[in-house]
Amino acid sequence: MKRSLFHITPSGRAGLITAALFIIFMPMIADSFWLSVFTSTGCFVLAIAGVAFMYSRLGMVSLAQVGLMGIGGWTMLRLNHGFDMPFEVNLILAATVTMLCGWLMALPVLRLRGLYLALVTLMAAGGLEIIFATFQFPNGGVGFWGVNTGSTGPFRRPALAESPEAYLRYVAIIATLGFLFIEAHRRLFPGRAWAMIRRSEAAAMAAGVNVTLYKTWAFGIAGLLAGVAGALLAGSLGILDGSTFKSSESIMIFALAVVGGARSWLGAIIAAALFRILPALLNSWGLDADLALVIFGAGLLHAVITAPNGIAGQIYDLLGRWRKDA
Amino acid sequence: MRVVAKYANWLIWAALMAAIILWFGWGRPPNMVGLFVASGLAVGSLYALGGIGIVVLFRATGVLNFSGGAAGAAGAMSAWQLVAWGAPGPVSWIGCILVSLAFTLAYGRFIAPRLAWRETVVKAVATLGFALIILGLVAFMWIDDPRSITLPTDAIGIRFLGMRLTATRLMVFFASIAIVVGIYFYLKHTKVGLQMRALANDRDLAALLGIPILRVETIAWGIAGLLAGFTGLMFADLIRLEPTVITFMVIPSVAAAICGRLENLTVVLIGGLSMGVIENMLTMSSLFRGVRPIAPFVIAVLVLLWYQRGARLTFAGRD
Repeated sequence: MKRSLFHITPSGRAGLITAALFIIFMPMIADSFWLSVFTSTGCFVLAIAGVAFMYSRLGMVSLAQVGLMGIGGWTMLRLNHGFDMPFEVNLILAATVTMLCGWLMALPVLRLRGLYLALVTLMAAGGLEIIFATFQFPNGGVGFWGVNTGSTGPFRRPALAESPEAYLRYVAIIATLGFLFIEAHRRLFPGRAWAMIRRSEAAAMAAGVNVTLYKTWAFGIAGLLAGVAGALLAGSLGILDGSTFKSSESIMIFALAVVGGARSWLGAIIAAALFRILPALLNSWGLDADLALVIFGAGLLHAVITAPNGIAGQIYDLLGRWRKDA
Repeated sequence: MRVVAKYANWLIWAALMAAIILWFGWGRPPNMVGLFVASGLAVGSLYALGGIGIVVLFRATGVLNFSGGAAGAAGAMSAWQLVAWGAPGPVSWIGCILVSLAFTLAYGRFIAPRLAWRETVVKAVATLGFALIILGLVAFMWIDDPRSITLPTDAIGIRFLGMRLTATRLMVFFASIAIVVGIYFYLKHTKVGLQMRALANDRDLAALLGIPILRVETIAWGIAGLLAGFTGLMFADLIRLEPTVITFMVIPSVAAAICGRLENLTVVLIGGLSMGVIENMLTMSSLFRGVRPIAPFVIAVLVLLWYQRGARLTFAGRD
């Protein structure tokens, strides 16, 4: 029992190694541009982990993850400029608020199946995009919306991580904790209920599993992670912009989660790297970032048609073959 | 009483629409309100046209197509390019429709069949990949730049009840109605239409009966492609010629499709039109003006809530 709860899978090992790399070495070698790219990659890893887990464990598709990140970021900035609480308290509150909003959003579809969750979350993403574009993000102004034109109020980073290097480490550690949080759920009783629902909702219901409750639970975790990710992203720059949280980005995140491989940690990391690092690389090589879209699209079709476990799955297959040959 | 119960949804819809128009239009000149409703109908027709394309294809093939907007965007940009090269108007319009037809058919014929056995959600996500490819190519070929398309119908003004409307708006409105009526008769009175309805009803049984699935599906993709091209051209003329905007027009179109529960074309049409009108009426309210594009999404979610009132999750149903 104990062994199955704590043993480390190949995917888990890959995730822990990447986390260690980001925590120890990356902050040492990256310049300030790449530090901010890596930090936002770390935030998106968390958000992608949320959608990917929901898709791979329950077949539920959420197309509003970046919209939910926006809620987390908005709450974080609002609390930062409105009150005097430490970063961590704001982080927890932002995550909770996002989770509640996610539930509210999923309310219309809790009793519907399949495609409708994807469609309703898409509607929510479209709506959130407009709200963020209209009301902007708080930056120290007065009133509920707190928007100040021109100047921006100070942002308090966590006391442990004031410098960009330390903040990257901070984000990497929280992302790792997020993965462990999902993994713990998967190995305990909710994971068993989810596995059953994935196989057959009817069978799960017949076995006494409360299908609606466990689906809501999964959606709540995805919302929580999106909230943390959004709040951390707010901490990275101190300001946020509506154009980061467009509905097209939410769609893209989901697509990339499938491309990277929704079933594993490595998949989420690959997806976030494609989402944030690839366009930055293309830019620094002087290539058009629009080409990234073509690569994503082709990767998505390829993943959906031939590689159900995404790039991560192919890497594991390759490693497995290599190990067998050796 | 039973008659009332049968038409209850329609009565509620009519009452709500009247209430919304009265509420926002109260105390303003009727002319102005009429103008807002008319231009709302034009925008709504675009949503409806997109939704009709989605629903026709979804029923016949089980694929929820997110790439219709991108195909339309590719078509509209090609039309702009043809005009820039000096081609006459009609050539550019036909070019637009042919380009989106080609993209959509290519997907329907070569990629969609490889995914036929997958879940609905996966099939929808795959079309998203195709949309990204088209969008990436289009954005790469035509660098961001303000562009526009004008149709000869823009210059024709028609006076109607004291309002001046461009012929383009009227054309979109009547085209959306004509297309719904046309598709209705096509599905009802032709052999392929019958086969499409059979596919919509039960794919596996239809295949057992010997219905040429690939052929029927290709025709459905063709219809979707034609609609995407026409919608893209009209959107480029009436609203904006920008690939990203046209591509993601698919989201409010999905909202219209949700109103018809992805099956009823008449409701999709009326839903789309109502969304356009409500969205435009919100312009008159100082409170909602900024967030008016949110209207289609809120309406779709409310409609969904209304449909499933009293529903329970049961064993029955495939998905």
